[in-house]
Amino acid sequence: MVALAVILSDLLFGIMLGCVFAVVAHGLNLIWGVVKVVNIAHGEFIMLGAYGAYFLNVFGGFNPLLSAVVDGALGIFVGYAFYFSFLHRELRGKERITLRSEMVTLVSTFGLSLFMSNLAVVAFTGDFVGINWSPGTVALGFLELPLGALYVTILAVLIISTSVVFLDRTYIGNAIKAYSQDITATQLVGANPTKVASLATALGFSITMAGGALLTVWIPTGINPYMGALYAPISFVIVVLGGPGKMLGSLLGGLTLGVVIDVLQAFVPVSLAYAVAFLLLIPVLLFRPEGIVK
Amino acid sequence: MRIAGLGVTFFGLLALMLLLLILPFAFPFSTSVILINLLFYTALAYSINFITGMTGYVSFGHVVFLGIGAYALGASADVYGLDPVLGVLLGAALGLVFALMIGLVTLRFRGVYFAISTVVIALAALNIVLELPQLGGSQGIILNLGFQPYSWYYTIWGIVLFEMLITYYINRGKLGLGIRAIKSDEDAARSVGVNVSALKLYLFGLSGLFAGAGGAVFAWTTSGVFPYETFSLNFSLQMLAMIIIGGVGTALGPILGAVVVYLPSYYFLTVAIGTQLIIIGFAVVVIALFIPEGIVGTLKRRSASLRELLE
Repeated sequence: MVALAVILSDLLFGIMLGCVFAVVAHGLNLIWGVVKVVNIAHGEFIMLGAYGAYFLNVFGGFNPLLSAVVDGALGIFVGYAFYFSFLHRELRGKERITLRSEMVTLVSTFGLSLFMSNLAVVAFTGDFVGINWSPGTVALGFLELPLGALYVTILAVLIISTSVVFLDRTYIGNAIKAYSQDITATQLVGANPTKVASLATALGFSITMAGGALLTVWIPTGINPYMGALYAPISFVIVVLGGPGKMLGSLLGGLTLGVVIDVLQAFVPVSLAYAVAFLLLIPVLLFRPEGIVK
Repeated sequence: MRIAGLGVTFFGLLALMLLLLILPFAFPFSTSVILINLLFYTALAYSINFITGMTGYVSFGHVVFLGIGAYALGASADVYGLDPVLGVLLGAALGLVFALMIGLVTLRFRGVYFAISTVVIALAALNIVLELPQLGGSQGIILNLGFQPYSWYYTIWGIVLFEMLITYYINRGKLGLGIRAIKSDEDAARSVGVNVSALKLYLFGLSGLFAGAGGAVFAWTTSGVFPYETFSLNFSLQMLAMIIIGGVGTALGPILGAVVVYLPSYYFLTVAIGTQLIIIGFAVVVIALFIPEGIVGTLKRRSASLRELLE
């Protein structure tokens, strides 16, 4: 009975961790799927979201859930700025991204990632900080669940499912989906490709930064300038597991990774668990390049 | 393209290397420490140039080979008391072996998939090393190899010379034709009979070998191996910055890039610690976006007379 309780609570925590991973990776998934660009600096924008939540807490007394809303709104502006400074020149007027443009976006966002993390060390110092927010626990049978993590799980699922509904059911959402499939055809039916691509990028950044704020609930003392080096690879693995551009894939990949890491932690040291999780990327790319579910 | 007949760039580089051979005797000690670092970064730049510069496969995780080389020297000197020069050879050998193993799998992936798999491997390698007590875990290995500036200098000088000669050998010969074909269109290259997989693996192996040798020298000069420092992606950034600023795929670009990136960053290191990587990161963004051919590529495009001279 005790063993069963341990396994159950491990699994439940794995699922909740998976949901927060999923929302952190979801913005990357959206941008990757629509504009076919991988933002290597993704982790640094998660860090930006996390620091946003931290400063909103310190100076405004905001809890991370409220900060996620503020971060999400800021993310729209950051996303537009990113699109027009990094992607517009490479994507403008092209039917599909060329190999050369792909290299330009990879290298420039890699430069951006180290620019941001090294700047953050100077601006925020290298110290680990955290948000002290604990709304208590809820008893679920024999399990004690922290309410904060539960709220984050619910919000994460809500954000991902809203984005699915938005893409499927709204006019502009359909335009984004169309763009991801065929840019020329999208233009033929009258959509402005730049508007569509920049909106998708902005939404992706909005979700990424909101995800960074939600993540702070899980890392009570873990906000630091180098956190991107952990959450960027996690996001890459999740998107590849789920299949780039498949919106529900983030949830699938996130849950897989969350459970894998949580279960492995019971047997090996934490860093090894993460190393294994990172390396999952390789077999998936080799054997299931379109994601674990067709 | 002229296969035979070596141009001005070749003899210029050769003269520079000969000058560097005698320079430590002409200059005081502090200068030669700067020169050692400059040659170390030059060695790294040529190493990543073999794969990223020549084929366009962006190896963000290149620091992994540097780390393997550093740990090869660190562990062999620490446990077996191996001579550091042999440690450098061991680092090169292990760099080669790991590059072949990693390349065999990851070189099947194109574009972004190759790039992110190298990032992920580098970060996983750090996490694995942290858990290996044999390699000192998160403490690393502290060596007591002493201050041997002349041995450091001539070892790294030799590595750079080898890299330059091999770069020339590849760019000038039949191999270079196949490699340029891969860079412009891999599928087309394969369909006309270029052995694409073997060529890519050959270049990746070479770049792993030299990065491993460079990493071993790094461990030797710092007399220690520390995981977070050795596997820092900042090294990958610096390597990429050098070839991108200098000019990717060229023979002159890496050393030019190393000078342009290292000397200012040495200055910033002494003036304002911590700012040099911010500036390099910013420079990479601007150059990747606006002048992706780098210095050598831009000069060749702008001036007809330089096109003949630079390579």
